[in-house]
Amino acid sequence: MDQALNFESHRHQRRRANLTRGLVYYAGVGLLAVVMLYPVAWLVASSLKPLDEIWTNVTSLIPSALRFENYAEGWQGFGGISFQIFFGNSFVHAGVGTLFTVISSAVVAYGFARVKFRGRDLWFSIMLMTLMLPSQILMIPQYIIFNELGWINTFLPLLIPRLGGDVFFIFMIIQFIRGIPIELDEAAMIDGCSKGGIFFRIILPQITPALVTAAIFSFYWTWEDFLGPLVYLQNPNMYTVALALRAYTDLGSVNNWGAVFAMLTLSLVPVILIFVFFQRYLVEGIATTGLKG
Amino acid sequence: MVHHNRKVLILLSVVALLLLVGGAALAQDKQEMRLVWWGSQNRHDRTIAVVEMYEAAHPEVDIVYEFANFNDYWTLMNTQAAGGELACVMQHDYAYLSEWARNGLLQPLDPFIESGILDTTNIDDVFLQGGRVDGQLYGLSLGTNTQSMILDLDAFEAAGVELPAADWTWDDFDAIALELHEKLGTWAYGSPTLGDDQIWTAMMVSLGTNPFSADNTDFGYTDDQPIIDHFNRLLRLQEAGAIMTPEEASQYSGGPENSPIVAGSAAMQYQWSNQVVAIFAAAGAERHFKLWTMPRPADAVGAANYLKPSLFFSITADCAMPEVAADLINFFTNSPEANDILAAERGVPVSSVIREHLLPSLDASGAETFSFLEMVAQDASPIFPPNPPGYNDLRNNVWTPLFHDPVLYGQISVEEGVAIFRSEGQAILSGN
Amino acid sequence: MSEPAAVLTGANQTQEEALRRAPTNSRSRDFKRNNLVGYLFVSPWLIGFFLFGFIPIAISLYLAFTNYHLLRGGEWVGLANFERMFTSDIRYGRAVVATFRYVLLAVPLRLIFALAVALLLNTKRRGVYWFRAAYYIPSVIGGSVAVAVMWRQLFGGDGRVNEGVINTLLGFMGIERLNWFGNPDTAIWTLVLLAVWQFGSPMLIFLAGLRQIPSEFYEAASIDGASGWQKLMNVTLPLLTPIIFFNFIMQIISGFRVFTQAFVITAGNPLDSTLFYALYLYRRAFNDFQMGYASAMAWVLLLIIAFFTLLNFRLSRLWVFYETKEG
Repeated sequence: MDQALNFESHRHQRRRANLTRGLVYYAGVGLLAVVMLYPVAWLVASSLKPLDEIWTNVTSLIPSALRFENYAEGWQGFGGISFQIFFGNSFVHAGVGTLFTVISSAVVAYGFARVKFRGRDLWFSIMLMTLMLPSQILMIPQYIIFNELGWINTFLPLLIPRLGGDVFFIFMIIQFIRGIPIELDEAAMIDGCSKGGIFFRIILPQITPALVTAAIFSFYWTWEDFLGPLVYLQNPNMYTVALALRAYTDLGSVNNWGAVFAMLTLSLVPVILIFVFFQRYLVEGIATTGLKG
Repeated sequence: MVHHNRKVLILLSVVALLLLVGGAALAQDKQEMRLVWWGSQNRHDRTIAVVEMYEAAHPEVDIVYEFANFNDYWTLMNTQAAGGELACVMQHDYAYLSEWARNGLLQPLDPFIESGILDTTNIDDVFLQGGRVDGQLYGLSLGTNTQSMILDLDAFEAAGVELPAADWTWDDFDAIALELHEKLGTWAYGSPTLGDDQIWTAMMVSLGTNPFSADNTDFGYTDDQPIIDHFNRLLRLQEAGAIMTPEEASQYSGGPENSPIVAGSAAMQYQWSNQVVAIFAAAGAERHFKLWTMPRPADAVGAANYLKPSLFFSITADCAMPEVAADLINFFTNSPEANDILAAERGVPVSSVIREHLLPSLDASGAETFSFLEMVAQDASPIFPPNPPGYNDLRNNVWTPLFHDPVLYGQISVEEGVAIFRSEGQAILSGN
Repeated sequence: MSEPAAVLTGANQTQEEALRRAPTNSRSRDFKRNNLVGYLFVSPWLIGFFLFGFIPIAISLYLAFTNYHLLRGGEWVGLANFERMFTSDIRYGRAVVATFRYVLLAVPLRLIFALAVALLLNTKRRGVYWFRAAYYIPSVIGGSVAVAVMWRQLFGGDGRVNEGVINTLLGFMGIERLNWFGNPDTAIWTLVLLAVWQFGSPMLIFLAGLRQIPSEFYEAASIDGASGWQKLMNVTLPLLTPIIFFNFIMQIISGFRVFTQAFVITAGNPLDSTLFYALYLYRRAFNDFQMGYASAMAWVLLLIIAFFTLLNFRLSRLWVFYETKEG
């Protein structure tokens, strides 16, 4: 009896210890989450604050009143160019760029993964080695070439090179294709399918998850790309959102911080949306390609 | 499923192609006339309004405009020149006009004056001089400017400090600054600009020398002592709290509207005369500011002020419709309605008729600027020759990072800094 | 920045794996060699590589030995660019120092943070999924101009009289406010903290690595009576070392490419204390148009990166050996 009681209280203690440990744990990770997300929340809150409150009640996350005019005013843009133009440019840049990248990468990946041809291993090694190349090496001669071609101030220098695919995505898709049982190919080949037919009928449907991952990464890297547009797009009418934001906050004197924060917030919306909807792909993409490949 | 996928793929490629073609079409030069300038938001707004006014009067002309801030602008123009893609009409600067004209990138305006498109009858020749290269006019100045010291009269009065003489020296400035600071507790001078490269060139002008040698391969002076004296003065004033330290200055980013003199935490600040408007406006009508001449070195032979014909409009060499371009420049120069909108934002207009037209409508800052320029014109030093090639390199890679900043941060002595400026500067100039 | 870096980390790791594997990948007994079809499929990359990779690389190498200026042209100058870089260009020295300083501060801090949080999240507790997502958000948006501007304003206020959030919070805590962007010692910290804030990607990679540690190892340790700390030191960390080390080197490499943040937040100021390599190179090329000199700088950058990559290959071989011996 005594022993049983003792045992009971032990369990009680342990359970209580577990409970406190759990509380401490959640308090800890919760606090960290607050710290991590505070800057973003601050940005969103500032984009909605009345103008006189943004810097006077600077740490607050709750606007005393919601001022949606910040968004309307910010949308006007600058120099007579509204953010509609900038967002349009960014969608062309990121959308078309992603399309080019993903389609080409899939085709090239299939070639390397499933077709045997003379020099394949050599080209494959060369391709992987280009991953190491800093973009700074290519940037200057590419600029000179595109300048000669009269492509400055167009999207061509930012889009055309993407028709060659992206080595990282090619590699990722190759790994994915290697996971598809070769027997499927062989069966199709017996049915008289050409290599192209196998690609479209067998491989393409199977690698959709890899393509989605590639598309997501490609879209949001391109959306956030700054250096490329900075080098090639000089006419404000061609600015992407990233360039426009820099110019907008760099004009010397920002007087309407509400409008600035509103546009900063708005520029993050596509990226956040992608994150929310495709979180699994993103996280898996990093975790798996990061480790296994 | 399989066929579906293929269709989607094909559809997407077509869409991509269309988007690309669309993007390329957007980017192509249209048959319209292009106009480019640099400036602030204020200038963008005014210029665009005038462009629209011109278009309304000339429905057959469609003006496509581009703009940038000053630093980006020259990067942009140089790359466009390299690519043969210059706009028809470009805003130009005195510093680069002759280089561009001699490189054959601009076309002379004299034919349009002869043909009557460009009317210069009301423009005093003094204001055309700066736009001439080898005897031909390559740029029409939209306004004349000069450096000016803005004095906060209220602060001077509160401190009981006398206004300086018109030909005051930097030593006078020194004494006044210390006294202002002592009496008011604020900064006497509130901007990081007291050691900028334009103070240096103005100093050389008033000493009667040019910053650069005639062939642009070296500096135009051998005695660094005035610069050493000036920076020692800045260090002293910094130490005393009369001017900002560079650390403090870094907190004031942004345009003239954000200056400490506007906030009342400084009593003086130098500014190009066309930017004065912004400061007066931001400070409000109840404040009393006055424009003053720039201080000169102790052994100056002339004023530190010179008249700078600035913000030229030029027509580029490959412009396909130069008559329209000249007509647009004429509109900016001679149309009273256009100048009502422009409101001397680019400087005091060169046409005497326009000046008279604007006078009654001027606000306090405009009137002050106009009369200040009139006063300076009596005694101004002649402007130095245009900057040599490599000037930006000199300023951005030598003056500021190797001399100005390390000296004012106290990392190196003034003498060391000046020596570095001279040797590194000569290395750049000797390449010309 | 962190995103490409993090994924490239993975890419390089797998790249190395693939290089080892590629030649032996010949299981295709019933695959006939098909040169035409093969080249057809890889032609997009091949053409792209030739036009936008190979030719530019050749041009760049040539430019590195000229004083080519976009507007004035140039001529062959031999090794003069490299001489200038290492002997007379004061700002180049500053850029290298600033970059190393940044890398040595940001990379260890970021990885320690990522590892600590990964250990914290490596549990079956409920809701961990959401915390992982929350910690990852800064990394998703972190490379953008929007976040860079936000970061600048967090530390700098409105650029007039008003303090930013950070200084206001410091004020609440009774700590003296800092002039973040005016002091060469503090300006770099704004960028370091931004990098640390984006620990999400290495965290995910660590998490995936932690999951791969077989639970038997921990059970064995428990039977031996090991405490949580001992398990961490004797099981977790040794088994994670290859990943830690790999991340470390790869993050160093990516540190040499940091551009946007320094461009937007500090612009290299003050006193060139944040004039990072990529920023200085960009300015020489596209503000001064000294494209010959900038190309030479790019090749030195390649050498630096190649050095670290080689180091990585060498050392990772050691680690792999170590691991197989253990297992």
